[in-house]
Amino acid sequence: MSKVNIKKGNVFLIDLTKCTGCRGCMVACKQWNQLQAEETDFFSGEGYQNPRSTSEHTFTLIKFREYEKNGKIEFSFYKEMCMHCDDPACVSVCPVNAFVKTPEGPVIYESDLCIGCRFCMIGCPFNMAKYEWSKKLPLVKKCDGCYSRIKEGLEPACVTACATAMDYGPHDEILKMAQQRLKQFPDRYLDKIYGKDEAGGTGVFYLTSEPFEELGFDTVTKRALPSYTWPALSLVPATFLTVGAGLSALTWITNRRERIEKEKNEKLDKQNSTESKEEQI
Amino acid sequence: MSAARSISNEFNSYHWFVKLMMMLVVVGAVSAIIRFVFGLGATTNLSDRYPWGLWVSFDIVTAVPLAAGAFTLGAIVHCFNIKKLEPLVRPAIVTGFLGYSLVCVGLLVDLGQPHKGWHVLIHWNLQSPMFEVAMCVLAYTTVLFIEFLAPVAEKFGWKLSIRVLRWFELPLVILAASISTLHQSSLWTFFVIAVDKLHNLWYNPLLPLLFFMSAICAGICIIILEAISCHKWMGQPNEDELLATLIKILPWTIGAYIIVRILSMIFLGGRPVFDTPVMTWLFAVEMGVGFILPFIMFSRMSIQNNVRFMGSAAALLIFGVIMNRFNVSMFGMMDPNEIYFPSMIESLVTLGIIAAHILLFVVIARHFPIFEHHTEPEEHPLPAYSRS
Amino acid sequence: MTNHWNDIQHSDVILCIGSNPAENHPISFKYINKAIDKGAKLLSVDPRFTRTSSMADHFAQLRAGTDISFIGGMINYILENNLIHKEYVVNYTNAAFLINEDFEFKDGVFSGLDAASFSYEKDSWTYQFDSDGKVLRDDSLKDPRCVYQLMKKHYSRYTMEKVCEITGTDRKNYMAVVETFCSTGRPDKAATIMYAMGTTQHTYGTQNVRSYAMLQLLLGNVGIAGGGINALRGESNVQGSTDYALLYHILPGYLAVPTYANTNLAEYLTRWTPTTTDTQSANWWGNTPKYMVSLLKAYWGDVATRENDFCFDYLPKRSGNYSYIKLMERMQRGEFDGLVNMGTNPIVGGADSNAIGKGLDKLKWMVSVDLWETDTSVFWRRPGADPKTIDTEVFLLPAASSVEKEGSVSNSGRWAQWRYKAINPPGHAESDAFIIDQWVKKLKELYAKDGVYPGPITDLDWNYGDGHEPDIDMVARECNGQFTKDMVIKGKSYKKGEQVPSFAFLQADGSTTSGNWLYCNSYTEKGNMMKRRSLEDPSGMENYHNWAWCWPVNRRILYNRASVDLNGKPWNSKKPVIAWNKISRKWEGDIPDGGWPPMNEEGTKSPFIMIPEGFARLFASGLADGPFPEHYEPMESPAINAMSAQQCNPAVMAPDNLDNSGKYPYVGTTYRVSEHWQAGAMTRNLPWLVELVPDMFVEISHELAKKKGLQNGDMATVTTVRGTIEARTLVTGRLKPMVISGKIVEHVGMPWHWGFNGLSTGASANTLTAAVGCANTTIPEYKAFLCDIEKGGSQS
Ligand SMILES: Nc1nc2c(c(=O)[nH]1)N[C@H]1C(S)=C(S)[C@@H](COP(=O)(O)OP(=O)(O)OC[C@H]3O[C@@H](n4cnc5c(=O)[nH]c(N)nc54)[C@H](O)[C@@H]3O)O[C@H]1N2
Ligand SMILES: Nc1nc2c(c(=O)[nH]1)N[C@H]1C(S)=C(S)[C@@H](COP(=O)(O)OP(=O)(O)OC[C@H]3O[C@@H](n4cnc5c(=O)[nH]c(N)nc54)[C@H](O)[C@@H]3O)O[C@H]1N2
Ligand code: SF4
Ligand code: SF4
Ligand code: SF4
Ligand code: SF4
Ligand code: SF4
Ligand SMILES: [Mo]
Repeated sequence: MSKVNIKKGNVFLIDLTKCTGCRGCMVACKQWNQLQAEETDFFSGEGYQNPRSTSEHTFTLIKFREYEKNGKIEFSFYKEMCMHCDDPACVSVCPVNAFVKTPEGPVIYESDLCIGCRFCMIGCPFNMAKYEWSKKLPLVKKCDGCYSRIKEGLEPACVTACATAMDYGPHDEILKMAQQRLKQFPDRYLDKIYGKDEAGGTGVFYLTSEPFEELGFDTVTKRALPSYTWPALSLVPATFLTVGAGLSALTWITNRRERIEKEKNEKLDKQNSTESKEEQI
Repeated sequence: MSAARSISNEFNSYHWFVKLMMMLVVVGAVSAIIRFVFGLGATTNLSDRYPWGLWVSFDIVTAVPLAAGAFTLGAIVHCFNIKKLEPLVRPAIVTGFLGYSLVCVGLLVDLGQPHKGWHVLIHWNLQSPMFEVAMCVLAYTTVLFIEFLAPVAEKFGWKLSIRVLRWFELPLVILAASISTLHQSSLWTFFVIAVDKLHNLWYNPLLPLLFFMSAICAGICIIILEAISCHKWMGQPNEDELLATLIKILPWTIGAYIIVRILSMIFLGGRPVFDTPVMTWLFAVEMGVGFILPFIMFSRMSIQNNVRFMGSAAALLIFGVIMNRFNVSMFGMMDPNEIYFPSMIESLVTLGIIAAHILLFVVIARHFPIFEHHTEPEEHPLPAYSRS
Repeated sequence: MTNHWNDIQHSDVILCIGSNPAENHPISFKYINKAIDKGAKLLSVDPRFTRTSSMADHFAQLRAGTDISFIGGMINYILENNLIHKEYVVNYTNAAFLINEDFEFKDGVFSGLDAASFSYEKDSWTYQFDSDGKVLRDDSLKDPRCVYQLMKKHYSRYTMEKVCEITGTDRKNYMAVVETFCSTGRPDKAATIMYAMGTTQHTYGTQNVRSYAMLQLLLGNVGIAGGGINALRGESNVQGSTDYALLYHILPGYLAVPTYANTNLAEYLTRWTPTTTDTQSANWWGNTPKYMVSLLKAYWGDVATRENDFCFDYLPKRSGNYSYIKLMERMQRGEFDGLVNMGTNPIVGGADSNAIGKGLDKLKWMVSVDLWETDTSVFWRRPGADPKTIDTEVFLLPAASSVEKEGSVSNSGRWAQWRYKAINPPGHAESDAFIIDQWVKKLKELYAKDGVYPGPITDLDWNYGDGHEPDIDMVARECNGQFTKDMVIKGKSYKKGEQVPSFAFLQADGSTTSGNWLYCNSYTEKGNMMKRRSLEDPSGMENYHNWAWCWPVNRRILYNRASVDLNGKPWNSKKPVIAWNKISRKWEGDIPDGGWPPMNEEGTKSPFIMIPEGFARLFASGLADGPFPEHYEPMESPAINAMSAQQCNPAVMAPDNLDNSGKYPYVGTTYRVSEHWQAGAMTRNLPWLVELVPDMFVEISHELAKKKGLQNGDMATVTTVRGTIEARTLVTGRLKPMVISGKIVEHVGMPWHWGFNGLSTGASANTLTAAVGCANTTIPEYKAFLCDIEKGGSQS
């Protein structure tokens, strides 16, 4: 079993074929982070799902899916949380560097810096950055991978609480573990590790038996999100200089033409004026 | 006569339209105060699903291109040296300056931690389009402010400053154009990050270029509309002739935009585009009514010159750009199960900002020399547009 | 559990029937998953598709209350296809025993029924003996009177067609479960059964369990690693509390409570000490006198002497049935002055809770000792009650929770694990031990003053230190037991006051004490064994003998002598529990069920040491309602018994408030969800859990919802003849209508966690249930009753 190694980047492995939907992880998360309970009414998703989505009060959510397939009932559970991307969109879009990808693995948030533009929320391909809509001076909230625990060599609270489905440890070891399972039980698993390539690679790997879309996973690009914006942004200095220089040159040329003309005219004018002066005289 | 009386008399003497604008500004300001007292969550319909709403879509994403007239015209007049358009420059600068100032106001209203807005100046993140836009908007607003100082100085007769400003004019114009190129396009870069969120009718990697091109079109059209309305309602001289020159540029810019837009969609999309009827409709209206129709109108205008016709074409294009901005920043990311609709407070604040813009423009136009004619119309060759 | 949690990982097939471990025993899935990773198959048999079912390879839906049919069909399949583990069955079970010629089974009834008194005269439920008193047997299993043949005949009626007609199970699913499970009759395969309340909460609950046991014995799955029949215990220390005599009819260590007929110790011992003429039988219960006398010595110390029968007279004698249901009935008749609820909330958890509420109204006083203000502790505030008419004086004593006090907790696997106190209890909360200690001291004082027959109280040997609380360490030492004088036993000498090393050393002469013989060995001279935390595992079987302590004598798998063949070689050498070392002539591995040599050697003993005859019982004469499990319908049922003319268990008396008229067409059943605990005080007051499951709901199928015009989330009214509740409707594909004898039958499922008090309130499912219990244990039939459901309610 892998354990936290704070000298390496750590990742989660969530094996949904082993998740019983007990939601111990959700409660452990609320307890560790001292998050408020949400007011719910009946159920707000399939099965026993509550609340409806992750939020400022809920960093991780077990999504229930209940549907029929080939005449058989499917009842499945999907633990949603921040993916702790390798090259996170939230980190790249934040104008003030409030998000940081730590070497230990978690992507954390420095609330002191945040100006509240909510670009991180737009940027996050997994919709995991949430806002404190309940507050007057709201901040962003999301799973911080239990950074305070990781630093002490403890596993995240949800992993500790989970009896069956979660593992946590150094990236290579966990990836190997996941690949090992796929190889050992080709019948049990869909041959794919969600999170390995999504958004350019994330810090949370999922294994499932059912197609990911069926379970409510988002289909997400395989490229790191910042790689979309960076080409444009990296052109900024060049654009600036090109446009600046181009326009300067243009101005110089057009103005020169004008100047020449003007000078010519002035000369002419001068001549004319002297002429007329002369005439006047 | 008491002071109150004189104020009320003064107020009563205003045009009803001005009164309406003043009222909207007051209501908007009160709404903004309510937003700060009760917080974003309580006063807006923003949510985790829609962290950006009307304020971002209109006050920022839309307002910025609409204020693009200033740099466009500046460049046309000074860099391309089409001097006969010079009379339009100042109104455009005022519009731009007001527009950008109000973008800053809108941004402050929208920020969750407005008191920390200045952090952008210190904690630089060069990877962030938002950082880049913020810096540019700040810089450009400053530039516009300096440009705007010219009429102010003239009005108050500060001789020296006028001379200094004249001397600076050209460099400022070039700086303005360069900065604008950057942020007008970077605004689009915002949405390049929304890879799997923005519908493919709008998502594509050339977004920054497209944004820039459409901003130029929008900027010019705004000037046209402005000039027409100033003539009509503010007793300013008829600029039709000047505008006729301006619209010669438009078929080129709009045409180029349409071509790049369509080609990029065909070649750079790669995913289904016409899969959601609502989105398809939005797209069709945006492109058809907002770009292709004005394109056709503008290209015919060189033959048949008519102010009403010109105004409608410009309005259509502005509509197209606004619609495009909303499609990208809002509708294109809509979740059919959870539709966003701006709250009363959001709408009132935005209306207030628009009203403030118009009102301030009217005030400035009244009191500062922005419609001064000091250049003779000259014949300047423009690339002739052929319809073949 | 015959086995334990860690051991589940050694199973090849895991059958969850009448239990929902994913939701109610979530940690068990750690081991289930381990087994699955090693190739095991998981089966789930339940009226509902649960979170456990979602993990299973095969799910079979059965109608609530039809487990005996379901298993009966499996037994039939095994016998018809000869899938039994023959060597095991012949040598370790009573399959070969010949049964009394008078014994018979006719149309659903066994011989000896006295229908009027709802009881059996069991004279004919006996073996045939030879003149020496030895049981007659036929190892070829051919004799028509042998258990095997009787059983075969009995279960031949349980054909697949018949079974599925009764249970409503889809045949394909049924066969998938049957074939998978019954493939484990081979020596190298193990199957386990994990059961709980879906099994026991029926008027024939014990017979349900019996049917599982028979299945396992036929397949040779008892005693082996990854096998056994495993009751998933409920409350965290319920195993400990039954070990320590929670129930009315047992003393600590499952010694019988004396009855009126047991007029003195000798009478008692004669009545309750089983005997055997079979010299090969260990007949462990033959030690009853040692355990009983040591218990009496623990109770009354030096006062207990041989001369005064070790104070046997001080023990209360029982005259009848003091089970929960009976007590509640008496309370409703106004027969009690007072009631102490120590960690229980009967107005939510008890069957027919409306009636319980009325009973509480009649009390003069009531004490609740609890962590929370339970619904019961404010019973006068329940909807419909008029506080003005209720005179009960109520006391609520705040109790310390499990982490606020020290002591042992015994889990389902019988492991007694010592817990340290983590924090002090808040406010005025006190541990239960403190509260009881105060009561006892006060009682002693009062009895000493002017008590009637004060001896049993004043003479109690009640000395647990001078601290604020009783010294729990001293309690644990006493439970283990001590020598009362210097002794030499088996060549070793022991000093007075020393801890007794194990129950093999307990004496019937007063020289030892033991508060609970089963726990003798838990606290030796080496210290408190329950505190051990070593993770060493020499066998690699994860038995962890130096982690805590397990009764009896740290044996991790019961009946482990059945895990080896006659030569002492494990049936499955890859997963040995114990193995006979021919050279050292000792067992290796787990602590064996007695150290005697293997069955093929001189001086051996039969493996099932707790049974007087030494053989596991396929034919069991000890039960109230028959030696073979037979299918009966629940007390309220939508079906006519398709097996016999005997509709319900003839050994159970039906109460008046049942309705089988057809007015209530749907099968009601109650259960738990992961997110709530029991009667709810502990979870309905916690916002984080209330968030997850905020209110009472009923689950119904899409089909029934359509019929009743109910939509997901709608308020619905559920009614039985006993009461009415309102709840939100959860329409789900996890419940399906089934066809029972050609008729469509629907289930209405509901959790029973809600009550009127607390942060989250809601209707109690027990308003609907009937106070009628199992013939043997009297556990109420919470799992099957008849109800109706309609759209709407006063709250909608
Ligand atoms: N989260 C949580 N865990 C708990 C508890 C709790 O309240 N909450 N309570 C604890 C206690 S005290 C106990 S006793 C255990 C109980 O543990 P379980 O017995 O697992 O609990 P239940 O949910 O009552 O019943 C189990 C299953 O039996 C099914 N069932 C109903 N009728 C029948 C039937 O006739 N035959 C079969 N085969 N199945 C049937 C139900 O649908 C249900 O899924 O749980 C313990 N664990
Ligand atoms: N319809 C229906 N009814 C059922 C069942 C069913 O399946 N269906 N299941 C039945 C079963 S299996 C059971 S076990 C019963 C349970 O029924 P109850 O025993 O009445 O239910 P609990 O809620 O577990 O009650 C335990 C109480 O003890 C308190 N407590 C916890 N720790 C301590 C402590 O250290 N000291 C003290 N003094 N108090 C403490 C808790 O706050 C709680 O209020 O319900 C039965 N009722
Ligand atoms: S999932 Fe979203 S919030 Fe989490 S690290 Fe990735 S981009 Fe950031
Ligand atoms: S809301 Fe805060 S954290 Fe998010 S992008 Fe803006 S400044 Fe950064
Ligand atoms: S890692 Fe920590 S913060 Fe994140 S979901 Fe798990 S418990 Fe919550
Ligand atoms: S704790 Fe583990 S098993 Fe339980 S819901 Fe969370 S991920 Fe699933
Ligand atoms: S509720 Fe407690 S006893 Fe039950 S599985 Fe969870 S931790 Fe273990
Ligand atoms: Mo229980």
